Amino acid sequence: MREIIVEPLARVEGEGGITVRLDGNKIKDVHFDIFEGTRLIETLVIGKRPEEDVSIACRICAICTISHRYAALRGLEKALGIKVHEKTQLLRNLMHLGELIESNSLHVYVLALPDFLGYPNAIAMAEKYGDEVMGALSLKKFGNHIMQVTGGRMIHGENPTVGGFGKYPDKATLLAIKEEAQKQLAFAQAGAGIVGGLEIPDFFDEETVYMCCEPGNGSYGIAGDQIRISDGSVVDVNKYKSLTNEQFCAHSAAKHCLYKGKPYSVGALARMVNLGERLKGSAGDLYKKYYTDRWKKNPVFNNLAQAIELVWALEMIPGTVDQLLKIKDDPEIVKPAKTEGEGVGAVEAPRGTLYHHYKMKDGLVAEANFIIPTGQNLEDVEKYMRKAVEGLVAQGADDDAIRFQCEIIARAYDPCISCSTHLVKIER
Amino acid sequence: MSQEKKNVGLYGFTGCNGDQLVIIHSEDKLLEFFQTANIKSFSLAKSDNDDTELDIAFVEGSISNQEQAKHVKEIRERSKFLVALGNCACYGGVQAMELGAKGWDERFKKVYGDGFFENRTPIESKPIDVFVDVDFYLPGCPVDATQFFYCYAHFLNDDLPVFPDYPVCAECRWKENDCLLLKGVLCLGPLTAAGCKAACPSHNLPCVGCWGPMKEANVSAEFELLKEKGFSVEEIKRRFRMHGGSAMMKPLKKILGVL
Repeated sequence: MREIIVEPLARVEGEGGITVRLDGNKIKDVHFDIFEGTRLIETLVIGKRPEEDVSIACRICAICTISHRYAALRGLEKALGIKVHEKTQLLRNLMHLGELIESNSLHVYVLALPDFLGYPNAIAMAEKYGDEVMGALSLKKFGNHIMQVTGGRMIHGENPTVGGFGKYPDKATLLAIKEEAQKQLAFAQAGAGIVGGLEIPDFFDEETVYMCCEPGNGSYGIAGDQIRISDGSVVDVNKYKSLTNEQFCAHSAAKHCLYKGKPYSVGALARMVNLGERLKGSAGDLYKKYYTDRWKKNPVFNNLAQAIELVWALEMIPGTVDQLLKIKDDPEIVKPAKTEGEGVGAVEAPRGTLYHHYKMKDGLVAEANFIIPTGQNLEDVEKYMRKAVEGLVAQGADDDAIRFQCEIIARAYDPCISCSTHLVKIER
Repeated sequence: MSQEKKNVGLYGFTGCNGDQLVIIHSEDKLLEFFQTANIKSFSLAKSDNDDTELDIAFVEGSISNQEQAKHVKEIRERSKFLVALGNCACYGGVQAMELGAKGWDERFKKVYGDGFFENRTPIESKPIDVFVDVDFYLPGCPVDATQFFYCYAHFLNDDLPVFPDYPVCAECRWKENDCLLLKGVLCLGPLTAAGCKAACPSHNLPCVGCWGPMKEANVSAEFELLKEKGFSVEEIKRRFRMHGGSAMMKPLKKILGVL
């Protein structure tokens, strides 16, 4: 028996690992292990006020804190009959773009790219690729700045609250963000070129199903009340359980998800496969330049999808700022219209579709269910790692080569392990 | 200045990784951070990690399974100075808001059913000082970058930082914000350790207490004040416990008798 173990899996958020067990040339197991400790967050939000819930729920994850907060807000506001002001919605769009810039630039350039260029980390990479690393850090800093301005703090800011914002940024701050977005665009475009030039082996290519939010209006986007699936169907978010079908798995503190009995993927690649044709501007040009049928078959293209999304996000900011500035007065926080109800909020976290489902009673959370992108991707991560191991074993590859390829696949999904654990629920 | 670079390790247990991320998010200081010490272990940022003798270990996250308890003890054994980094390591974080109250087994069952893990033995989340001696507590959810680098510079020079012993209220006053408590809002500013520069009250929103209580916090006085303002005991307790973790257990038990 040959056993190849990666533990911990570095340059991912949270505590995870990979286990490959081989019997001669036969594969016994390929596991993506989730070791992250259990926090039982879904049970802790019970009995809490909506604003307390968002303060707890965002802390599931520091990288996608805004997505968790935003999904919670969407779910809670539906349940409580709150309709937010147009200016609130615009500032939420901006904060969500800020997080995508922070998270995608961190993942593509700091966590994933070192593998392809042969370095253990981005700092070591800086010796030869100084401009690229400094450019990526500057882009990430800009994303962080937007999160700081809109959220009130860079991580777990309380400013986006139920019914609105505590405070709106002033005109000068917003104009500076618009200007900086335009400045950052050149690096994002050049960066997509670097990632687009990387060679991705095809020996583990295989079709899968892709899911993402349908933003509506024929546009590219990262939130919506419907889910678009690559088989052509569009499903209301209230029916999310029929799409995700979670099941317990003994080597993982995160439950695995299946769609119609099959693995599926969420994330930037899913968004590009389902919505990429809608991209305009230079993001659209990059999509046309690089998109091929292989994107539907190989998760490593997620890195390039994220790099192109960075261009999209930067190109969205000037228009969003202009619209925000047209509305002079800051709206009051909208109070709940009722104290009982149910709501599902879905957003695209940088690493895929995130659902927060709430039932409210007497103004307090009575039930909560969260479905996390990484949990949805786990089956596909293992499917592709298994296929890659099969291919490598047939080629007579050594343990290091197998380990390295599995890491590249797992990391390509931009897994968020803090998020994905303990967010599993047994339905009986 | 010391002649040789210190060996430093960063470790993450159960939490959101926000404290390590605060360091990664300090773009302008990141290269310097990696150059001023030998960063032996930082698994969120790099893959060539080395579990060696350390001058300083930073530990983020709460301990939520027996394997982590063993690991944090192992880190302690090879570290001269150990820092609890962030609210989860210091007090247990939001996942420790029901610490001391019964019901963890039931809650665990509600989420995972009868499923068992083949590789980990879960326990209720606890702060790291339940398992190891801690040399310095650096609170925050997540920690503040300025506070972190201020402390870090002191540690590198074998010195202990002077840490604020005043509450968020002080920072809030320096910013000349209107007092939310006076407006009848349940704000934890008077209890909470400073360091966030009064982030939430500066956005017209109450302090949620995410730095944990400051050392000399007068918990019972704030409890009485909020009761006078018409908040129920249940609500006050809930707010105090949300981010207070282990640090709120003793004072609340003294006031209420039970948790």
